[in-house]
Amino acid sequence: MEGIEYLNEHLWVGKLGHLFVITNFVAALFAIISYYFAEKTENSEEASTWKKMGRTAFLAHGISVFSIIGLIFYLMVNKYYEYAYAFNHVSDDLSMSYILSAFWEGQEGSFLLWMFWHVVLGIVILSKNRGKWENGVMMFLSLIQMVLASFLLGMYIGETKIGINPFILLRDTMNIPLFAQADYLTKITGSGLNPLLQNYWMTIHPPTLFLGFASVTIPFCYAAAALWIKEYKDWLKPILPWALFSGTILGTGILMGGAWAYEALSFGGYWAWDPVENMSLVPWIILMAGVHMNVVAKATGHSIKSTFIFYLLSFILVFYSTFLTRSGVLGDTSVHAFTELGLEWHLVLGLLLFIGISVYLFLKNNKDIPVPEKEESLYSKEFWMFIGSLVFLISVMLISMTTSIPVYNKIVDGFSWMMGADYSNLHRAAPGDAIAHHNKYQMWVALFIGILSGMTQFMRYKEKNFENWKKKFWTHSAIASGLSVLLTIGTAQIVNMFAWQYYVLIFGCWYAVVSNLDYIISTVRTNLKMVGSAFAHMGFGIMIIGSVVTGLNQHHISTNTFAQKGIIEGFSEEDYSRNILLIKNKPMYMKGYEVTYESDTITGLYRTFTVNYKKRDMMNNGKVVEEFNLYPNIIYEKTFQKVAASNPSTKHYISKDIFTHVASLPRAETDPEYAKSQEDSLGYKNYSVIVGDTFQTANYEGKVLELNMNPSHVDYIPMEGDFPIGVKMQLKDKKKNVSYDIEPVAVIRGAKILRFPEYLPESGLKAKLTTEIFDEAFAREDQIDYKEFTIEKGESFKYGNTEISFNGFGVNPSHPSYKAEAEDKAFNAILDFTYEGEKYTGKPIYFIRKGIPYNIKDEIKELGFHFKIGNVNAQAQNITVLVSKTPPRVEKITVQIAEDVPSSQYIVLEAIVFPGINLFWLGSILMLLGIFVAMWRRIFS
Amino acid sequence: MKKGHIIAMIIIAVGIIALFNAFGDMTRYSTFKESEANPNQSVKVVGVLAKGKPVVYNPEEDPNLFSFHMQDEDGAERKVVMNAAKPTDFNKSEKIVLTGKMVGENFVASDMLLKCPSKYKDEEIFVRSEI
Repeated sequence: MEGIEYLNEHLWVGKLGHLFVITNFVAALFAIISYYFAEKTENSEEASTWKKMGRTAFLAHGISVFSIIGLIFYLMVNKYYEYAYAFNHVSDDLSMSYILSAFWEGQEGSFLLWMFWHVVLGIVILSKNRGKWENGVMMFLSLIQMVLASFLLGMYIGETKIGINPFILLRDTMNIPLFAQADYLTKITGSGLNPLLQNYWMTIHPPTLFLGFASVTIPFCYAAAALWIKEYKDWLKPILPWALFSGTILGTGILMGGAWAYEALSFGGYWAWDPVENMSLVPWIILMAGVHMNVVAKATGHSIKSTFIFYLLSFILVFYSTFLTRSGVLGDTSVHAFTELGLEWHLVLGLLLFIGISVYLFLKNNKDIPVPEKEESLYSKEFWMFIGSLVFLISVMLISMTTSIPVYNKIVDGFSWMMGADYSNLHRAAPGDAIAHHNKYQMWVALFIGILSGMTQFMRYKEKNFENWKKKFWTHSAIASGLSVLLTIGTAQIVNMFAWQYYVLIFGCWYAVVSNLDYIISTVRTNLKMVGSAFAHMGFGIMIIGSVVTGLNQHHISTNTFAQKGIIEGFSEEDYSRNILLIKNKPMYMKGYEVTYESDTITGLYRTFTVNYKKRDMMNNGKVVEEFNLYPNIIYEKTFQKVAASNPSTKHYISKDIFTHVASLPRAETDPEYAKSQEDSLGYKNYSVIVGDTFQTANYEGKVLELNMNPSHVDYIPMEGDFPIGVKMQLKDKKKNVSYDIEPVAVIRGAKILRFPEYLPESGLKAKLTTEIFDEAFAREDQIDYKEFTIEKGESFKYGNTEISFNGFGVNPSHPSYKAEAEDKAFNAILDFTYEGEKYTGKPIYFIRKGIPYNIKDEIKELGFHFKIGNVNAQAQNITVLVSKTPPRVEKITVQIAEDVPSSQYIVLEAIVFPGINLFWLGSILMLLGIFVAMWRRIFS
Repeated sequence: MKKGHIIAMIIIAVGIIALFNAFGDMTRYSTFKESEANPNQSVKVVGVLAKGKPVVYNPEEDPNLFSFHMQDEDGAERKVVMNAAKPTDFNKSEKIVLTGKMVGENFVASDMLLKCPSKYKDEEIFVRSEI
């Protein structure tokens, strides 16, 4: 679209933004170079100049990151839809409270969030004198930032596009005729934030998780710097609090993701072993392995190499996770992978760069990294902690392998291409039941970790004389084992354990809990600062117990196999009934509860259902012993034509949760086209009835009572300028001898006629008006010939043979079509006349509302007389009256009635009981708190 | 060899066995025809919704029965039966990945993953003047 002068675009933002995108990249490059020379220059004066330059460059980089973020917010807050990022992530109706969520919904925003935290952490590093570590750490941090900055460049080198520019204009992203119009901006509005993400979890989860990811970088940078400057031991102390910080935050971020999935999304659980979840867990596990090796290395000098490997690997896994989730390679296997933006190879290159650097630095220094000559004793703490880290590593390998199946398939494809052969028979797919697959292996990992974390608390570092210590170790271990056996038996009394493997696992977890509690009581007592690791390991045990109890004993209660039959080959009754159909206001029994779908309300895009649960005591005349309401909701897409998400509602108890969500709605509720075709197929019959008369349908005797100009209807929300009409009817069921009062409504709004049918779900009857109702109810004004008379009060005039006298004005007039308002100045004219011996009065109304005069005609239907006030002349004290006589009009209206309409007021509900879920949350929180306490101690004491 | 080494080696060996074992858990991408030949094996089949065939979900009768016809990548078409509610975004799906097996004439799916059109491609433009 060359040569078009577009109107109202704000191009300066993009230009400025692009400038910052480039300085962002260049400043990071500058920082790398400066810090490199700051380290390598012998001359101390020159070195300090380089260092200053490095700091300045990093700060310039940081300012660029903040500026880019600021400008993007500026675009989004002001809704500059000429920019693709604003167009894709905000909309006119998006509440400002979701502006943060909208920012990191997109790839570019989440890269920036990640970089933002790196800058913040970098500033924290620079805020204190880090001695010999600053150069190396900041160089590697700048390198990572440069790689991330390259994803935002959006530049072409030859034919290849490098990165995606967050400031790209919408009209540059697609080629459609709209952009041939200079004023296209007046015709578009943003597509907005995915309704699924419009909740507070989306506001707090991503920043926490990304701070977690960003903080993993610091141990990586320290490890790389230590190898680079060949200082293998001194970094072990300063890095430990950083690694513990990272463990706390990343752990919290992952846990928040689980809580989000459980509380607000209808995934039906907190952990599904989804690839995206797995890839955030894996770096955390490796980081925690690193922390354990770090503690060992600091205390004994053993496992320094392992510390290096785990810390380096942990960041590589974060980057690998970025690659998996952002390259689109996971597409077939994950529900929440990002879509492709053509970053695949770019990400692969970044990943290879970091792997290359790590491998090179490690191998180059491998021989020089100190290893104590004396091997660790079999009875020493460090030996079993090392074994624990190996278990962690195996756990991670197992999780990563399954998660990486799509990558494996790509590698097979690449191999096929190189060899010119077809190896696609080597392709594999992830197991159908991912949860069962991972649990099968990870439960043994959990068992090992549980036992090791209990056992090692009573071992000592650098054990030289286990003989002296033996008694204490075995006493504590025996007590812990005995108690754990009892607790395991106790647990089995309360929950179903199904198989011996679970007994063993639960034993291992209780062992961790009991030994660590014992450790707190017997050892830590005097020194509360030491409590961190004991808390963390107890928390781990409780968390796993919680997940086993929940995992094994969660069950659907939304089942009623007697009431809902249907036979499918191959399905057992058990896996059959997960969902239950609830017809509005009809109680249904499901496993111990009487549930009723009572009502639903729409607020914005949300439709919230009220589902009532009652528990009755059958021994006691069915007295209600417990009653509560749950409010699951669904979110419609903006067009109200599709359901974007179904949000659960959960009843929390101490020992369990009842989790419930709407699994499905009548198709007519979500698909207007279908609703219309359904409506057309209902078989409406027309009944033309004079008001006051009765009519007969197949099952009913009906009577039209009256026409109502002020009708109300559940679905009708009055708007200014509406012209509504309702037809009050009574329908008597001939068989059951019950009567129903109904009032279908039609409304003229602008050029449209809206119709609101009445529906009786209990009898399957639906009634509506035709679009002709207004012509039927009112005489067509354009077909009436009025005669005009100007008269004073007390005078009379002749219309044809009828003498009509104007006998004054009436105040506070009333008329079916007139709805009085407070400020109105209204009156009617009293026009008396005699027709065929009978006396009649016509009362047309005239009123002034907000300075504008209106009139309302009066019609004497049985005669066909029409009266209107045309004009009021206050000075001459006369009025103009319009009179007409038509043949008498019969109020005959048409109603449409369909009988035997299938019910469409129902929801399909899924309800699951999660027993013991609070143990899982309690354990996880305790574990993270333990890590936090450990960090706190190392920073402040 | 020290005892410690032996224990570490055992752990690593167990780990490697577990890895091989876990790799054996992986399923294969398959087709309806292949699945018919091995009716007892759970497989994944990739395909698209067959046009013009009924998509049946009648919760009034059974909220746990959903069926449709899918065409796999070889072009073979089978009826797919699931014991679950119909996913809300089913009609938008471009590509379907099923896990399950053939039972008689039908493919009984235990799991289904839908690939929906990307938000970035084929972006709808909401034109104000038309609303």
